[in-house]
Amino acid sequence: MSKQPVYEARGISKNYGNVIALDNVDFSVAAGEVVGLVGDNGAGKSTLVKALSGAHKPDAGALYLDGQPVEWNSPHDALERGIETLYQDSSLAPDLSVSANVFLGREEVVPGFWGKLGFLANKSMDARARQELEKVGIAVPSSSRSVAKLSGGQRQAVAIGRAVTWATKVIILDEPTNHLGARQSAEVLHVIKQAREKGLAVIFISHTLPHVLEVTDRIVVMRLGRVAVDAPTSTFTPDSLVKAITGFEVVAS
Amino acid sequence: MTSETKGMPLTLQSSPVRSGRNERLKEFATRQETLLFAVFALMVLVFSLVNPRYFSTAAFGNILQDFGPVMLMAIGQTLVILTGGIDLSVGALLGLSGVSAALAIRATTSSGMDPAMSIGIGIVAALAVGAFVGLVNGLLITRVKLAPFIATLATMGACMGTTLVITGGVQIAGAPKEVVLIGNTRFLEILTTPLVVVLVLLVIAWLSLSRTRFGRRTYAIGSNPFAARVAGINVNRHLMKVYVIAGLLAAVAGLFVYFRLGSGSPASGRGGELQSIAAAVIGGISLVGGVGRVTGTALGALITASVLSGLILIGIEPNAQQIVVGALIAFAVAVQGIGRHNSRA
Ligand SMILES: Nc1ncnc2c1ncn2[C@@H]1O[C@H](COP(=O)(O)OP(=O)(O)O)[C@@H](O)[C@H]1O
Ligand SMILES: [Mg+2]
Repeated sequence: MSKQPVYEARGISKNYGNVIALDNVDFSVAAGEVVGLVGDNGAGKSTLVKALSGAHKPDAGALYLDGQPVEWNSPHDALERGIETLYQDSSLAPDLSVSANVFLGREEVVPGFWGKLGFLANKSMDARARQELEKVGIAVPSSSRSVAKLSGGQRQAVAIGRAVTWATKVIILDEPTNHLGARQSAEVLHVIKQAREKGLAVIFISHTLPHVLEVTDRIVVMRLGRVAVDAPTSTFTPDSLVKAITGFEVVAS
Repeated sequence: MTSETKGMPLTLQSSPVRSGRNERLKEFATRQETLLFAVFALMVLVFSLVNPRYFSTAAFGNILQDFGPVMLMAIGQTLVILTGGIDLSVGALLGLSGVSAALAIRATTSSGMDPAMSIGIGIVAALAVGAFVGLVNGLLITRVKLAPFIATLATMGACMGTTLVITGGVQIAGAPKEVVLIGNTRFLEILTTPLVVVLVLLVIAWLSLSRTRFGRRTYAIGSNPFAARVAGINVNRHLMKVYVIAGLLAAVAGLFVYFRLGSGSPASGRGGELQSIAAAVIGGISLVGGVGRVTGTALGALITASVLSGLILIGIEPNAQQIVVGALIAFAVAVQGIGRHNSRA
């Protein structure tokens, strides 16, 4: 890779009790690059995502943003530096409205005295949420509608929209096309391409290998908590990718 | 499903929203509070039929005097339940902070201090006790990672024990006459100064929950704590605030009762946890968190207080009150369950 990575992880390890979820993992992504992260269930993808997003602290290893070492004590720290994450587990508050979810943790307050007391600027947040979501191609019928009343696909759309809205450097999407139909998945791939055009670094996790081959520039294959292969997408065929994931390439060829 | 938007819109618009949906939602919500009010009116009617004295300004004034401490505890309980927790310590804390104020005031007045100063010290003592117990609740839940149910059960026991130890189990009398005057002088027929304090705190709670960032985050944490955390919210710090506020409100409730009676009774606050939970769940606060409004809680507290007064007026022994409050909670939760089932279907 000729490009300087914008975000890099070196030697990341993480255990859950006896389970070694991550074992000395190196990972990097550059601006304007889409990296696919693939591997069987339990390979450690989501655990790596959580280390990158500050949702938990790895047991060992170091993170570098723009070449500088960084340390996350909470997801807040990573968000502040422009790293947005769509988690595999739902990260929306179902009882709140679409716009409240888009602005969760970043609520805008009214100007002046009432703002100092924390009074919310709901109108402006509703309008901005609708605007930002439309910008990434998500049409919101009513941004004051509660998320619990949306379908699974619609919720996923809001979560993706939120990540795209706030990301300024890195966007991590952990199985964003889960529970989505073919058409909706195509739309997510379109959003990913848009993010790349904006110059964001994108990490895309999926089990749908044709999607990964279509949209990524590079693919990192994880197996049992380790990086098994890290190579440009152009070097993979559908078959060789499956073999890299299952680890049977020698036997099969 | 057609779309009018450009590009490749994601799926939000794939099921178009019927216009006026919002209005109808609001209407339904108001109806829920209307329903609560109807229940309240019906109760007043039934109690009045049994005992005509129930339907009088004087009796309503008395209901409001019962309503005060229940409402205060219920505001705190609402905050806590909205975050997905529960606070079993509020009743015992009412008792402890009440007797703390009584002891502080008795000690300072007997050493010759000016009553106003002494009352001020009593108020500070009660609030300090409330904040401290709230802080302990918060620490047990966020640092020791105890379930709120267990943490506040433990502090409930500790508060009860401390109350008995510091009072020797007897009433703490000897309040300066100003105390009873403040607590019982009525204006506009039914109001007292402590009741005005309760109403002001209720308005503040309503504004905070419905209009501010603090309220928004309280709902978010109860709705999905993981979502709140990964959105960058400091969930533990927020929970600490919520439990400290609940403790402070229980202390204000303790002061309310002290000012009303002019003495600190180790028995006051008994059953307060049940009453405040009843007020909240009758008012539509969901026990799983994230759903409900404090305006509902206010009506729930009014209903709970009316039941308590009504039971006494129709001659049911005070010890049977707990049974009725328990039944109210079970009934309200069951009704909530049915409602939720329908609306989520
Ligand atoms: N919170 C947790 N507690 C215990 N074990 C976990 C936890 N999260 C993940 N694991 C384990 O860590 C390993 C990696 O999981 P994960 O990162 O979710 O894999 P993937 O996302 O690739 O499917 C699995 O063996 C999983 O069971
Ligand atoms: Mg996963």
